[in-house]
Amino acid sequence: MSHAHHAVRVDPQVPPAILLAPAGSLDGAAQAFQAGADAVYVGLKGWSRGGARGELDREDLRQCTELAQARGKEIHLAVNIIPKPHERELLLDKLAEMAAWGLHAVILNDLGLVRKVSQRLPQLAITASIGCGALNVSDVLLYQDLGASAVVLPGYLEPQEISALKARASIRVELMIHMVDEFIQLGKCWMPSYLNFAATERVVPTQRLSGSVKRGGVGSCFRICQQPWSVMKDGEEADRRMLPSRQISRIGELAAFLDAGVDVIKIQGRSLPAEMASAIVSRYRVAMDDWKAGRESGGCKADWSYTALPRMWTVQGR
Amino acid sequence: MSTFELNTTISNLRSLRESDLRAYDAVYLGNIYCRIFEDNFLERLADLRTGIAQVKEQGLRAYVTSYAAPRNDSLAKVQKALETAVEAGADAIEVHNLGVLRMVHEQFPNMPVHVGGFANVYTDAGAAVLKEYGARRFTPNYEIGLDEVKAITDHAGIPAEILVHGKMPLGVSDYCFLLEYEKQWPEKCPVICQKQLFLKQGDWAMRSVGKGVLSGRDVCMLEHLPALFAAGRNVFRIEAAYESPLYRHEIGMIYRAALERAAAGDGAVDESTWKTIHQHTHVGLCNGFYFGRTGSDYVGSREESLAAQ
Repeated sequence: MSHAHHAVRVDPQVPPAILLAPAGSLDGAAQAFQAGADAVYVGLKGWSRGGARGELDREDLRQCTELAQARGKEIHLAVNIIPKPHERELLLDKLAEMAAWGLHAVILNDLGLVRKVSQRLPQLAITASIGCGALNVSDVLLYQDLGASAVVLPGYLEPQEISALKARASIRVELMIHMVDEFIQLGKCWMPSYLNFAATERVVPTQRLSGSVKRGGVGSCFRICQQPWSVMKDGEEADRRMLPSRQISRIGELAAFLDAGVDVIKIQGRSLPAEMASAIVSRYRVAMDDWKAGRESGGCKADWSYTALPRMWTVQGR
Repeated sequence: MSTFELNTTISNLRSLRESDLRAYDAVYLGNIYCRIFEDNFLERLADLRTGIAQVKEQGLRAYVTSYAAPRNDSLAKVQKALETAVEAGADAIEVHNLGVLRMVHEQFPNMPVHVGGFANVYTDAGAAVLKEYGARRFTPNYEIGLDEVKAITDHAGIPAEILVHGKMPLGVSDYCFLLEYEKQWPEKCPVICQKQLFLKQGDWAMRSVGKGVLSGRDVCMLEHLPALFAAGRNVFRIEAAYESPLYRHEIGMIYRAALERAAAGDGAVDESTWKTIHQHTHVGLCNGFYFGRTGSDYVGSREESLAAQ
């Protein structure tokens, strides 16, 4: 698809789409902003899935918020685990403190927590995490009903699906346009804990529920779908394979998604080294700016293909 | 009237007609994973209408399930299935997808909603929201233990349905990888996913149904029924969407008898039933996550004889 020679996209009625980048550290956030991110999402130690590599402690988060404010940018906080019920109040108190720092949004993974935060902290924007499993327009409307201001959708959706739901929903649509698409949908997989729950529980006894990634079990996704499995048919091994998964990097279709009304272009990877994440962010920044200016995008060239990706940013390389 | 409900799942009219449902109080109609599952009730609305009628003629409650993860292009068909269910007198709709929950709540507010396992009810806070949307019962996320289930029912005031036997759902996909085998194997879609296909790695085993993954071992709570009653549970499911009518009947009869005994205070298990259970079990038994352990573990007296088959 060619995106050359279209009109400059400036509609004063519509806030411009923003680029939301991952960061696993204060330095990572600084590099992401430098690379052109409008907003950065970070994890809070003990309360976000993804493990220690991608989480900030309280003080780093406070500094991160200051850094963003000084640059007129946003910090989104991933609290994408499900807290144990008796620790929910503790989390709400923490979020109230962080909202006062100027935190822009909190990314939540459970509809019950979405409701609680929207009631308790109305000043804080809520994003329904990709782990909420929203896929269709009615899903988005439900999270809108519950008080979310944004919902994250997986990058394998098509532009026409986005435009259909944008026609009915008023909350922001975030598209995880650059992500690993696992065989089982995010938030709908408890294969690892079926096979080895005890091991996951031993990793970090903490506030989060133990078990799958959906619940927030640290290190609990031990990538079982990326190990060879025998496919047994009628008791005989018919094949030996990994479960299908793929890297999605749809920068080549960025213009179509922005035309469809995507509000936030989101990139996966809080645990990536800052240099690698910022290189990806730069590429998307160029493509978004080209779209906005009505130019054919140099950022969308085909060299950002699966085979050209750094190995670490592929399914098998992680 | 029975003090408990035992229900099961049937994906299509053929399987319904071949099933002896004497053991059951209710049936969920439809396959939640795939629109092109063989004659899926959710796609063949005349069959759905017939199926609801046939279930009710047997004096059972007819529930209609819905897709676990529908995208926009499925919603029109979901809408038609919901309309058909309501018109044909279904007793409840099962929803796994929150968008479908919203559709039912908006358009059919009087229709009871049962929330399915893929809706991810992990805490009382989640259950409370679903109750506002018309949920009358919920299947907890399979990953939580019986103590957590009790905490939810106590706080949210909504009953829980418990899978007591059958293969436990472990995940849902947007992609059917079994289609990759159509050129190599004699079986084709829509029959290929009904083969006994297992993914194995050492002692680990999972059942593949193309767009879904189920536990390889059959969840079996037969010897724990008194504990379930004691915990306040009284709605039980035998998950049989991908099982034969014989499985559905024989396992159902075992549980009907055991539940009636347990409800009367007799928790003894008829030893002769284990042979039948074993005949219907390819990889062994487990308890799922009910006891806070690895989902494929088995806790109970049958551990040595059956769990590690």
